[in-house]
Amino acid sequence: MFSGFLLEILRSSVESIKANKLRSFLTTLGIVIGVMTVIGVMSVISGFQKYIATSFSQLGANVLYVSKYPWGFGMSREEWKKIQRREDIGLKEAEALKEYGTSFKYVSPSILRNMKMEKDDKEAEDVQIEGASEDFSRITNREVSLGRFLSKDDIKYMRHVCVLGQDVVNALFPEENPIGKKVKIQGRQFSVIGIMKEKGKMMGQSMDNTAFIPYTTMTAFTGKRISINIAVYAEEGKETEEEIRWILRGVRDLKPGEEDDFSINSSEALISQFNQMTSTFLMISIAIAAISLVVGGIGIMNIMLVSVSERTREIGVRKAIGAKSGEILGQFLMESVVICLFGGFLGIILGASLTKLISLMSNGNVPFHIPIWSIILGFGFCFTIGVFFGYYPARKASKLSPVEALRYE
Amino acid sequence: MSELIKMRDVTKVYPLGQTEVHALRGVNVSIKKGEFISIIGPSGSGKSTLMHIIGCLDVATSGTYFLRGKDVSKMDGNQLADIRKEFIGFIFQDFYLLPDVPAWYNVSLPMIYNRVAPKERKKKAVVILESVGLGDRVNHLPNQLSGGERQRVAIARALANEPEIIIADEPTGNLDSVRGEEILEILSDLHEKGKTIIIVSHEKYVAERGKRKIYLKDGRVEGKN
Ligand SMILES: Nc1ncnc2c1ncn2[C@@H]1O[C@H](COP(=O)(O)OP(=O)(O)O)[C@@H](O)[C@H]1O
Ligand SMILES: [Mg+2]
Repeated sequence: MFSGFLLEILRSSVESIKANKLRSFLTTLGIVIGVMTVIGVMSVISGFQKYIATSFSQLGANVLYVSKYPWGFGMSREEWKKIQRREDIGLKEAEALKEYGTSFKYVSPSILRNMKMEKDDKEAEDVQIEGASEDFSRITNREVSLGRFLSKDDIKYMRHVCVLGQDVVNALFPEENPIGKKVKIQGRQFSVIGIMKEKGKMMGQSMDNTAFIPYTTMTAFTGKRISINIAVYAEEGKETEEEIRWILRGVRDLKPGEEDDFSINSSEALISQFNQMTSTFLMISIAIAAISLVVGGIGIMNIMLVSVSERTREIGVRKAIGAKSGEILGQFLMESVVICLFGGFLGIILGASLTKLISLMSNGNVPFHIPIWSIILGFGFCFTIGVFFGYYPARKASKLSPVEALRYE
Repeated sequence: MSELIKMRDVTKVYPLGQTEVHALRGVNVSIKKGEFISIIGPSGSGKSTLMHIIGCLDVATSGTYFLRGKDVSKMDGNQLADIRKEFIGFIFQDFYLLPDVPAWYNVSLPMIYNRVAPKERKKKAVVILESVGLGDRVNHLPNQLSGGERQRVAIARALANEPEIIIADEPTGNLDSVRGEEILEILSDLHEKGKTIIIVSHEKYVAERGKRKIYLKDGRVEGKN
């Protein structure tokens, strides 16, 4: 029976909102904007976080990259200048890591350069050629689909061999099996020894327009005076990072107390740095949303006060026929909550549309993803505001003396 | 017959700025179950004030009021609301219908607070509307009805929770004498069926309907009661 009563006041709330459509809509605008902001910002950020996470996890989980430059953002100009003055990371470091490492087995230089590849009259533009060691496929957990990956001897004897990504295969060998065939990289001949498994797209770019060659061979293109990255596979639960530090400090002759002059990067660290930055942004947006929700709440309170005074007669009638104060209170509270939830609903729709728009404009790079908890949070906010700002007007209505209310003109 | 209503030395004082208005100055009234009472008196004599107190819409400033043997003057707002809901049906001069909802909904309103199930409410509202001759006006909005019809909707609403007492404050005040007679006919009918009817009016033909008359003047009952 009591739920029947709740249903009844819910129904009459909806009726009275329908009767004042424009007014209800204008009243609820602050709430709509607030919720739209919450939903929009949270969805975009959480979509972006997902995108970053999947993007960088493609660099390989548990992979540490030793580089001259740290990954990430938020560095001062002075710090940056100091980093630029660092001594380059070279093969010397890679070889030391391979030789002295105990907590890790797999080490590979990663020397990147984009070059053109040719096969007879066909060419593949701007292929990302990666000089690596035989460990690289294990480190990044990537396998060949055909043939084999680079071997120890390929590295040792500086062989002119290459493992192709699928895009390069498609461009240069549309019809034939490429294994054993020759391709040209900047005029030099390489034999194809394998084909990598397809990796797909990341940040809207194909990850298969690549080729791997021995890093020893790569230095023929780049010269030795270049700073390289070194990829190390860190096994779970081992102090790999610490060990890498000590080995590198030794190789680079750093004295105790001197700062590291190299960076050990990982996708995990970058993602967490990114998440930290976005959570600050999230906080700011939530603050903005909270302000518009409070402004919206004051609007609700105002309109509810108007409604109570417009309907003083009605309140008198309801009391005369037996409504208790609590029931009048409930009716007006319900109305305020329903208006707020209605605003929240609009806000969620608009916020979702906004997210969809951003997703479309980014060509799907920012995935369209509305976290369920943002919807719950949005409705939760609206409910709270409806109760909080609706309470005073509703209480005012409930305290009216029946006779006074009936006499009200 | 048992005493349904028993008032002793009831006063009502309204504060009015710096001064006070003494609307009732010690009223003694007893009404038995099933009576048909007319309360008569000049404008401002305190008739509406007395009706509000009898109907538990307001409380006396002093004095005692026993309704069905219970001391109403000691009750709180919720208890008074319960009494209004269960035992009292009000009819006002200005009808006081909710303007935006149809006749049947106006009639069903008291049942909402009596926790009658929704389907039941509408069914019963229609039956009561039929009993006051408005079977074909169930879905009309108040402004689509004539004054007499509106007052009949108000009567139907007063009957919704099957109260013992019907209190009508100048129910014909806004109607011509023909429509007024129709309303009085319905009230007489209800009296026949055993309801206790208390009607306020300063019009003679209305007052004549009552089986017993109470004269009010300057907040006092004239003659003995
Ligand atoms: N809420 C109020 N505040 C002040 N004075 C009031 C109030 N209600 C009624 N009165 C005064 O009390 C007296 C009796 O009023 P009322 O009971 O309405 O008389 P009647 O219904 O007989 O015309 C009048 O003088 C009226 O002005
Ligand atoms: Mg009066």
